Amino acid sequence: MVIILMCAVLAAEEPVRVQPPTPEQLRFFETTVRPLLAERCLKCHGDKKQWGGLRLDSREALLQGGESGAAIVPGEPDKSLLIRAVRQVDDDLKMPKDNKLAERQIAALVRWIEIGAPFPEVTTPRTRDPNHWAFQPPVEQPVPTVDDPQWPQSALDSFILAKLEAAGLSPATRADKRTLIRRATLDLIGLPPTPDEIDTFLADTSPDAFARIVDRLLASPRYGERWGRHWLDVARYADSNGFDENIAHGNAWRYRDYVAAAFNRDKPFDQFVIEQLAGDLLPSQSEAQQHEQLIATGFLSIGPKVLAETDQAKMRMDIIDEQLATTGRAFLGLTLGCARCHDHKFDPIATADYYALAGIFKSTLTMRKYIKVAEWHEHLLPSAAATAMRAEFDATVAAKKAAIAELESPGAGSNSALLRDSEATKAALKKMRDELAALEKAGPDLPAAMGVTEDKVTDIAIHLRGDPLKLGDVVPRRTPPVLRGPRVPQFTDRESGRRQLAEWLVDPQHPLTARVFVNRVWRWHFGKGLVRTTDNFGLLGETPSHPELLDWLARRFVADGWSVKSLHRLIVMSSTYQQASTPSAETGSRDPENRLFSRAEVRRLEAEAVRDSLLATSGQLDETMGGSLLKLKNRAYFFDHTSKDLTTYDSRRRSLYLPIVRNNVFDLFQLLDFPDPAVSTGDRAATVVASQALLMLNSDIVMQAATKFAERLLADSTDDDRRLSQLYVIAFGREPTADERQTDRAFLAAADQAQSTGTDADSRRRQAWATLCHAALAANEFIYVR
Amino acid sequence: MGQVCNLPETHILLGKLQTCPTTKMNDNDANTLISRRSLLQRSAVGFGSLAFASMLADESLAQASIDNPLAPKLPHFAARAKRVIFLMMSGGPSQVDTFDPKPLLTRDDGKPLPFAKPRVQFNSTSNLLKSPWKFRQYGESGLWVSDLFPRLAERVDDLCMVHSVHGTNPAHGGAMMKLHTGSDNFIRPSIGSWVSYGLGTENSNLPAFVTICPTLAFGGINNWSSSFLPAAHNGTALGDASVPSDQARVKFIENSKLPREIQRLLLERLDAMNRKHLAQAGSDASLEARINSFELAFRMQSSIPKLEDLSGESATTRKLYGMDDPVTANFGRMCLLARRFTEAGVRFIQVTHNDDKVQWDQHSNLKRDHEKNAREVDLPIAGLLTDLKQRGLLDDTLVWWGSEFGRTPTAETTDGRDHNPEGFTMWLAGGGTKGGFRYGSTDDYGYYAAENKVHIHDLHATLLHALGLDHERLTYRYAGRDFRLTDVEGNVVHELFV
Repeated sequence: MVIILMCAVLAAEEPVRVQPPTPEQLRFFETTVRPLLAERCLKCHGDKKQWGGLRLDSREALLQGGESGAAIVPGEPDKSLLIRAVRQVDDDLKMPKDNKLAERQIAALVRWIEIGAPFPEVTTPRTRDPNHWAFQPPVEQPVPTVDDPQWPQSALDSFILAKLEAAGLSPATRADKRTLIRRATLDLIGLPPTPDEIDTFLADTSPDAFARIVDRLLASPRYGERWGRHWLDVARYADSNGFDENIAHGNAWRYRDYVAAAFNRDKPFDQFVIEQLAGDLLPSQSEAQQHEQLIATGFLSIGPKVLAETDQAKMRMDIIDEQLATTGRAFLGLTLGCARCHDHKFDPIATADYYALAGIFKSTLTMRKYIKVAEWHEHLLPSAAATAMRAEFDATVAAKKAAIAELESPGAGSNSALLRDSEATKAALKKMRDELAALEKAGPDLPAAMGVTEDKVTDIAIHLRGDPLKLGDVVPRRTPPVLRGPRVPQFTDRESGRRQLAEWLVDPQHPLTARVFVNRVWRWHFGKGLVRTTDNFGLLGETPSHPELLDWLARRFVADGWSVKSLHRLIVMSSTYQQASTPSAETGSRDPENRLFSRAEVRRLEAEAVRDSLLATSGQLDETMGGSLLKLKNRAYFFDHTSKDLTTYDSRRRSLYLPIVRNNVFDLFQLLDFPDPAVSTGDRAATVVASQALLMLNSDIVMQAATKFAERLLADSTDDDRRLSQLYVIAFGREPTADERQTDRAFLAAADQAQSTGTDADSRRRQAWATLCHAALAANEFIYVR
Repeated sequence: MGQVCNLPETHILLGKLQTCPTTKMNDNDANTLISRRSLLQRSAVGFGSLAFASMLADESLAQASIDNPLAPKLPHFAARAKRVIFLMMSGGPSQVDTFDPKPLLTRDDGKPLPFAKPRVQFNSTSNLLKSPWKFRQYGESGLWVSDLFPRLAERVDDLCMVHSVHGTNPAHGGAMMKLHTGSDNFIRPSIGSWVSYGLGTENSNLPAFVTICPTLAFGGINNWSSSFLPAAHNGTALGDASVPSDQARVKFIENSKLPREIQRLLLERLDAMNRKHLAQAGSDASLEARINSFELAFRMQSSIPKLEDLSGESATTRKLYGMDDPVTANFGRMCLLARRFTEAGVRFIQVTHNDDKVQWDQHSNLKRDHEKNAREVDLPIAGLLTDLKQRGLLDDTLVWWGSEFGRTPTAETTDGRDHNPEGFTMWLAGGGTKGGFRYGSTDDYGYYAAENKVHIHDLHATLLHALGLDHERLTYRYAGRDFRLTDVEGNVVHELFV
């Protein structure tokens, strides 16, 4: 994505550098330009010597230049003295003195100046600054006044518009209705709108037509399947352990379903946080609620673990570290893991802060045993149905055993031994014993959920350099003191402290929890966050593009009772969200990276939305909700030594329900940037590589969708004109143009002719239509949202 | 770098789709001559722009490196090797039975180890167990090789033995991930991905990192994944360890269901749809990149199968790799493929020797199974070295033989050895390393690395060094900090190089 943005910069006529250089620009500088400067220039123009009064070791110095004037004019290589010098066009200015630079090196310098001479800030970054903005509670922000009072739908828009106006720019026009319903539908439920839904919206001319669409989408169960999946990225959800012993998380799916249901029911986010960290410690009104809360603690348990780690002390601390790192990243947007071995280099998190938090998880029982292969704890979820199922099973086993016993010692009688030893009886016995063994092996797992419970409460010592064998001072459990605002929790020796930690996180005065989450939601709606480093709000994270808006949203979110659906409504109903994707020429060049949200972003669908859209479009989607599609028993190996992966993905259910197998994620997901399910991620990549094209051209799933889509068109409509209309409306949400109709008709004829004359006319026609559908399903217009 | 640029024209015709006149393209772009510069600006990420990168003359190299993550890049300093072939012996061959003879182990067979075993062990072992194989000296260098590798022994003067490799993890999973990524408790980019990131690819139609029949166990795809590096640096797998090498394919590389002519029509219609959409959606780099990616995909469909088609190899060559013998044919084919990828410009090629168990993991039956394993690879590896040498490829190709760990000199059960990450042997060949050379040693019994210890991190630093990459400068910023293959460790073993 970074690279894509980079290209946008390149395409702009006169890139105005309103923003700091992108990481990709800096990488170019660091890998190509800086080594060149260091090797060939800095000996005479660096910190030791400044011949001609010139230094070349910072952007400022280059701009200031030496006795002959500025060394560079960003964007204008031909006007830059540096370039004249290295091209050696003037007799009195030939640099370097020894050997002329290679053409390639000169080209690199030219290129660098063309793109604005990006140079990393030389001011040493503030490190370990306790006054960093993200460590202070959000403050109430006055809503800015704007020149165009008609545009803002809410304060949100005022914050966006104020920045645009300050830059002398105006927002894009409002997107047309077809674009809007396709965007909102794919965004909120992850499926394309149906032709009926589009027609209804187009026909509804009332002012609240779009609000009705949004309400309908938020009320759809499909919504939780889409937005729950976003959270599962953060929760590094997977149905297998991954790492060294890739065994099945046979019960992880309950946590997945819990998350989807939480979003569907608009469970307040503060409650959602508390349940995931401490659900087992909460009171409950009903058995169902108790189960739900136990399942929620799966969040802490589903991480990857090195289950064959032979050093048990290390394994235990590794698991705690994983929990701590994920908790820190998911809720705080902080890289706490760094402080395991040393004080955090950039954030004011000390090693002592790390072990103070680690004590909470050390007091928590995650594992049943640490002996390899280690086993995680599971909560039993007793219920009447489960007990009955178990009882029935036990009865069947008992009956079988009794029957065997009966045959083995058939009571008193003269010929009993004879009977027992007869061949027929032996065979019958063997058969029954085999049946019993098979029965017992296939016995029902009692309903259980991965999750944590309390262990012996303890404070732990600092592990010097992270080594469990080198212990320093014991640190009492506490929260990091640098995060100011919330009430400081009291930890006791009766409880691990997970509940206190969770309550501290959702204190309305907490500086990070609400900010990090509203920023995540913003990222998922717009493609990038107000803070673009969604998972790092520390000193190495990016500063927000709209800090006031971020604070306003965070406070509003808390004031709205942490309602995620209210947050969606606020965002989706804004003018900011409803902009078209085409910027005015000026805005495009002045805000090439769209940091000011001056237009809608053109975005590729995520892997799940691609697959779900393929299924929906071709009429194959199975909307059954919940449950497990894993074919393995709990803790069974996916593939041990053989590398044969027996997992199948031929289900027609939504992508949410497909097994997520660490170390061998489903092809289609892997290729379309599904994040590594071993690590919490709030900002998926969107790459473009040729292997994705191969998937779209050659995979069974796309081929089959094309065939089914064609069958649907051939069955539903009576003539080719209607079929073409239907194809375009279903796939792209619009009617074909006259040109397109003509091209497609020619295409159908050509595809018909291209097939061997041996095939009958009907199958040739089907193939021609399937190929046209295939093209549509692989097309950018299908895969991208505007 | 200049030699990969073999298109002299300053203008090229975009793609080949317009060569088909069957339907009228409704986008006038398709037949337009496009300047290199504008082409570059239109192309973006992934393979999609590789074709164009290779058309670059030197002066545009700088531009390529920011537009296209796989464009060839200059190393940090003069490289000794341009590429690596990693012969990965899954499971842990025993150093004391292959390349590291220990007379005292033979003498003290059955006695207790006279010093402490490591604090953390995988399984428990008993007393010393002598090697069932004889060692002999070979070549001018007189390096020792056991009778397990008679053919490889003939090439011993090309080998640079490192007897003092050590790791940190005694379990397959942790050790495999450490070996491939430098980390056993986090998911990190594989060494092949780092090389791809550092150097790009010389071949516009191929990825920079290819892995042949890798095992899905013990880290699975994470052992060849780019993790947080851009996706273009992912290893491209040919099959996996569950399929024989003659059936190993890149995923979705073929479409056996659609006739070629229909496929071409499909691509043509798709291209026209995409160009029309682009015109309406406005300039967007990712939309353009995706258009290019389909073209490249179509070309890869013929370029990769062509590489896999060995019919052009002579009978002599096939025999050299043992492809005429069912025992060696499977691994021999992988080695021959490795050579072909080497010639085609791929930077990092991994070949995995792994059967339906963990091939070299002889907790018992050491004699029987090590013998079987060695027979499968001995001749093909010797053949690969011979072939590379006679084609002049060994000078700038670094061949690396190794595993996730070695084995204990003490016995597990009666005729097996346990995992041992404390000291084991790997060897390098070519790529500027000293041939017929041995470096480092283990103790008298071959348990611990003793002299000139080489940690996995040091080995990684050394491999990157051979490629002209400074392991401390090859960094990637992710989640707020700069990451390296070697984390905060790693020392280059300069002694290994000529």
